[in-house]
Formats: sequence, C-alpha cells, structure tokens
Amino acid sequence: MQQILFPFSMILLTVAAYFLMTKLYKRFSYPFLIPILTATTLIIVFLLVFHIPYNSYMMGGQWINSLLGPSVVALAYPLYKQRHFLMNHLVPILGGVLIAAVSGMVSVGLLAKLLDINHTLILSIIPKSLTTPVAIEVAGELGGNASMTIVGVMIAGIFGSIAAPSIFKFLRVHSPIGRGIALGSASHAIGTSKAAEYSELTFSMSSVTMTLCAIIGSFLGPIVVWLIQI
Amino acid sequence: MKALIIILQICILYIFTFIGTVIHTYFHLIIPGSIIGLLLLFICLCLKIIPVKYIENGAGFLLSILMLFFIPKTVGIMNYPSLLSIHGVLFVAAVLLSTIITIAIAGIAGQFLEKRGQKGGDDKECSRFSSHSA
Repeated sequence: MQQILFPFSMILLTVAAYFLMTKLYKRFSYPFLIPILTATTLIIVFLLVFHIPYNSYMMGGQWINSLLGPSVVALAYPLYKQRHFLMNHLVPILGGVLIAAVSGMVSVGLLAKLLDINHTLILSIIPKSLTTPVAIEVAGELGGNASMTIVGVMIAGIFGSIAAPSIFKFLRVHSPIGRGIALGSASHAIGTSKAAEYSELTFSMSSVTMTLCAIIGSFLGPIVVWLIQI
Repeated sequence: MKALIIILQICILYIFTFIGTVIHTYFHLIIPGSIIGLLLLFICLCLKIIPVKYIENGAGFLLSILMLFFIPKTVGIMNYPSLLSIHGVLFVAAVLLSTIITIAIAGIAGQFLEKRGQKGGDDKECSRFSSHSA
C-alpha cells in the first residue's frame, strides 16, 4: 500500500503546487512569480523539511515527467495551424531561424568555454534558447544535466523578454518579423508572450520561430558540441 | 465525455512519441524521439492522414498545462547546490550574454531578410497557443 500511496502523494503535491502557484501568478503577474519558479521552490522546501530525497520524490515525479514526450509531439498542432503563415514568409522565417539557432548555441558554447565552466554544465546550456520540453530532451541526448538546462532556459526566457525592447531600440530593429524571430528564437515561449504585446504578426512570427528553432536546434546541438570541442 | 476525448487524444500523441523513440533507437539518430514524433505528426496532419480534430483537444490541453511537466526535472536542482557558487554565477553570465547576442543577431537578420524577400503577403492568420507556457 505504502508503495502506491507515496508516489501518488508526490504527484498530488506537484499538481497542487502547480495550480496554486498558477493562481498566484494570475493575480500578481510579476515575471519572477512564474509558476515553474515558485512551484519548484515550494516543492524543494517541502522535500527538505520532510527529509525526502529527490530520488524518492521522482517515484511519483517520473509519471508527470513522462508527459513531456507527448507535449513535444503536441507542438505539431500549433505549427500545423500556422502552416499558411509559415509558407507565406518562408524565406525570412527559415533563414532567420537558422541564423538565430546557430548564433544562440555557438555563442553560449563559446562563452561557457571562455569562462571555463565545467564540461557537463556546458552541455547543459547549449540548448538554452530552445523551448523547455525540447531543451530537456536535447540536453539528455548531449549528456548534459536536465535540471541545469531548465535553469538556463528560464533565465534566457525571462531576461530575454525584459532586455529585448532596449536591444531593438539600440539596433533599430523595427520590423515585426525581425522582432518576432528574435524573441521566439532567443526566449522561446516567454519571449512569445512578450511578442504578443507588439502585434499579431510579431506574435505569430515568434510562435512559429519557437517551434522551428526547437526542431532545427535538436539537429544542430550535437554538431555545435562537436565543433567547439575541437 | 470531454475528458475521455482528451485522454484518447493524448494516447494518440503517446503513440507518435513511441514511434519516434523506436525510430530514434533503431537508426541510432541524434535527434530526440519526441522531435521525430513531432515531425511525423506534422506530416500526417498536412497529408490529411490524421484529421486535425483527432488531436486538437489533447494537444491543446497538454500545451495549456505544459509547465507542470517540467517541475519534476526542475526540482532536481536540489541535488546541485553548486549553482550558488562561482560556477553558478559564470553559468548565469554565459546565458545572459548569449541571450543578448542571439536577440541582436536574430533581430537584425530577420529584418534584413524581410526587406530582401518582401513579396507583399500580409497574411495574419494566427493562433494563440502556447503563449503562456515556457
């Protein structure tokens, strides 16, 4: 009985923390209150207080984690809905996404190497500008640590959407397509919700870019690792 | 009834994940199985092999609570207190700098390509999916 009850209570804990914190975020929409941050903190505090090790928590947590795969597959749906939009702007989108994905991965890899960050950590932050579920999978494929990847992805998302307006102003990027591609490729979904504040076109561009970047990024990841390791 | 439809549709998405994973292991590909599943589903939708109504509720549901699924992995940070050391600071610095570089390059490149390849199509078809998930 204990063997079923414990994992189940961990699932319940996670779901409850998530919905509670989502509610909190809806009331006070500060970027540092995003549910992933607050819910995670809440669960870690709970586990530390009750002396539950992470591995025991994962007996329940792995069930929630197993929904990541289908969620990545589900990204085909918004992409399908925007296929006409994609076809109409094929050249700027594909070109932009390719350049953005390469510069995102190469720049973080080189910087990490320059700053002498340890090997596993470098592999973990290579996919930092991809959307989280894909970044987790790519990090696993590269041999990085998924937890650190998520931290990197969150920082890229939150910081990117805060810094983007000043960068656009400084570099005179006024086109909705340029802005959308930049936000979607550097700051994934958090950037995409920022893009919605500019215009419909910027939003669609950012959302399509985010998905394509995830697909292209999963091809590029191993190549970039191979390149900068030489 | 609606819940049952969502669960069945998530099962379809699971099947695609499974096929993707099988292809991934069988052919020793570097791309994650779920991305292969995504591409397969996208192709199936475009070729109308699978009507979009077979997956739209399930996919929409999963994407609307996407953040919940990262939480177990994120909690794993508790095993890495080293993030609060100098390594953690460098890690954050690398991500911040790279994000600025990416936004700058992507923004300029996107604007440049738009001006070059202007064909005058101002289709504004949009969907507001996955805007609040990360």
